[in-house]
Amino acid sequence: MFEQLIDMIFSASFGYSIIRITSPILFAALAAVVAEKAGVVNIGLEGTMMISALFGVLFAYWTNSWIIGVIGATAIGILVAMIMAIFALKLKTDIILAGIAVNLLGGGGTVFLLYLFTGLKGNTASLTTPNMLTPKVDIPIIQNIPVIGQIFSGHSILTYVAFLLVILVWIMLYKTAMGLRIRAVGENSHAADSVGVSVLRTQYVALAISGALAGLGGAYMSMYYSQSWNIGIVAGRGFIALAAQAMGQGEPVGAMLSSLLFGFASALGNKMEGMQGFSSYLVASIPYAVTIIGLVIYAMSTLKKVKRFKDNDK
Amino acid sequence: MENKRQNMFEIFRGFIAIAIAILVAFILIVICADDPGKALECLLIRPIISNGALNVKSIFTILARMTPIIFTGLAVCVMFSANQFNLGGEGAVMLGGFIAALIAIYLPMATGVHALVAILAGTIVGGLVMIVPAVIKVKLKASEMVCSLMMNYVIMFTILHFLNNVFPDRSKGATQTYPFLETALIPKMVPNTELAWGFVAAIIATILVAFFMYRTRWGYSIRMIGINESFSKYSGMKVGGIIILSQVIGGMLAGMGGAIEMLGRYNTFLWKDLPGYGWTGITVAILAKNNPVMIPLAALFISYLNRGCELMSIYAGVPAEMIDIIQAVIFLFFAAEHFLSGTRQKIVVKDAKEEMQKKELATAGEGGNA
Repeated sequence: MFEQLIDMIFSASFGYSIIRITSPILFAALAAVVAEKAGVVNIGLEGTMMISALFGVLFAYWTNSWIIGVIGATAIGILVAMIMAIFALKLKTDIILAGIAVNLLGGGGTVFLLYLFTGLKGNTASLTTPNMLTPKVDIPIIQNIPVIGQIFSGHSILTYVAFLLVILVWIMLYKTAMGLRIRAVGENSHAADSVGVSVLRTQYVALAISGALAGLGGAYMSMYYSQSWNIGIVAGRGFIALAAQAMGQGEPVGAMLSSLLFGFASALGNKMEGMQGFSSYLVASIPYAVTIIGLVIYAMSTLKKVKRFKDNDK
Repeated sequence: MENKRQNMFEIFRGFIAIAIAILVAFILIVICADDPGKALECLLIRPIISNGALNVKSIFTILARMTPIIFTGLAVCVMFSANQFNLGGEGAVMLGGFIAALIAIYLPMATGVHALVAILAGTIVGGLVMIVPAVIKVKLKASEMVCSLMMNYVIMFTILHFLNNVFPDRSKGATQTYPFLETALIPKMVPNTELAWGFVAAIIATILVAFFMYRTRWGYSIRMIGINESFSKYSGMKVGGIIILSQVIGGMLAGMGGAIEMLGRYNTFLWKDLPGYGWTGITVAILAKNNPVMIPLAALFISYLNRGCELMSIYAGVPAEMIDIIQAVIFLFFAAEHFLSGTRQKIVVKDAKEEMQKKELATAGEGGNA
């Protein structure tokens, strides 16, 4: 049984599915990173992804164009984030509660919105046409290399966007004035305020970026991964992304690595499901359990670091 | 006395928040229902009055559906009071229900004792699982929120594994366990309705939690830590222990709610998803402003709306999920501290001015006497 498992892990198709599964989590994890850097916990990622996923499909259906669908999903992601921001930053609703409200909207509200706009109940499978799905991209040269080509080529265009965004988010955070402001606000909002950085404006911008990234994640889910929208489409990925952010020490690259870890756990689960002797349900819980273990390990290592730092001080 | 006016304002603000939510609901109904008048009637009136007569059965249903969300509301109330955003209520409810179900099926006992033991087991297990995020938070400073969210899924899939592979009743078409033994069922308060004696248990729990939060040392510590953790620490409270305690109590309440709901409403375990009571509990706690005494009232309100939405989907074709939009809107406005802050500011200023005038008068009076 284990031989079978090992064989599978070292197959090219397994690598391919890791990347495929990681992409949406990566979008959301980057969203969590940007918000967290500005000192805002965006627990509404789950709901934002749900809403964006729905509107991505709807926009694509109305215009028969996946590009407009993706743009629409991103715009809706920003809109949702802005609603959250207005309540959290202006009206002082606790940000966690505002996020939970967004998740409520994403959970049942989307079913209602779908009915409102299309009269459909529960899913959009009947709307899907090939034009609405984001295209797969074959990377020249790489696609011809054995194994590597099979793993890295032929993904949705959004997958490449996701990994590119890791770099872009890093540059934004560490090489631009905006990024400096975001980090300053997150690190110490009073200090940032005292040197003339508008804390509120910075947090609005960070949340908007966060919403846009989550929106892309939603678009990936409904316009590529599941090929249509349904009520269970996001399935906790927004929450996993929060965990990936925490495990990745709040850094874009770290978040990417932890997202890949979840991708690995999920892909493993998917493959094990078909094998004899594994319970598909227990296997499905692996990514979530891995998250908790990862959080614990990360927290322990941080504590040790802090301790060492203190010991050195003496 | 000055506070009275501010309290009145708080109540007024709550009503405005609810009014906005209902208004949003109206607009959505008008857009999407074929017969908006009928839909509105279903939402607002039909839960208690149908065809000109009191809809007794529906009223009992509303009361019955309050039971689990009172428990989760109380759970959230205790945990959030200590500023612990533990969102594991969902998992604790499902686990409490499942453990109670197993005992109800496989451990024969005398009537009365059986249900109590099953509920107690659900309660304890609910409390035990919450130790995980609580201890991780206190000892390792990791987010209890993320941990509890992940735990919900682990609990759900583990239960589904046992439901599908270990305990299923294969003679039935649907995935479910064997039926509960008669001895374990919680009797109905009113025959042929959904209302079981669990409702009374929920009210008793409310009183106990209110007593705990406002009349005991631990309750005081929990609230103090929520208000100012550093202050609590430096005034000598065992902050870590209290934080763990608050989450364990929250888990116990949620687990008890799940067990009571399970044995009071069903006769076999067939939940295939997280039941959602944990999230509703958060709405309830927000509406009640984390005050245990107000929890049943808030639960009644949500339960009423829920029933209204259900009837609306049956008779007027508006999806029942509208309840989530209404809840979200209430949620946002209710928790918005600065909502209508201008008006509040005016009231505070007015109060302050009046007080100053009074003082001036008093000192002027004293001056006159001297």
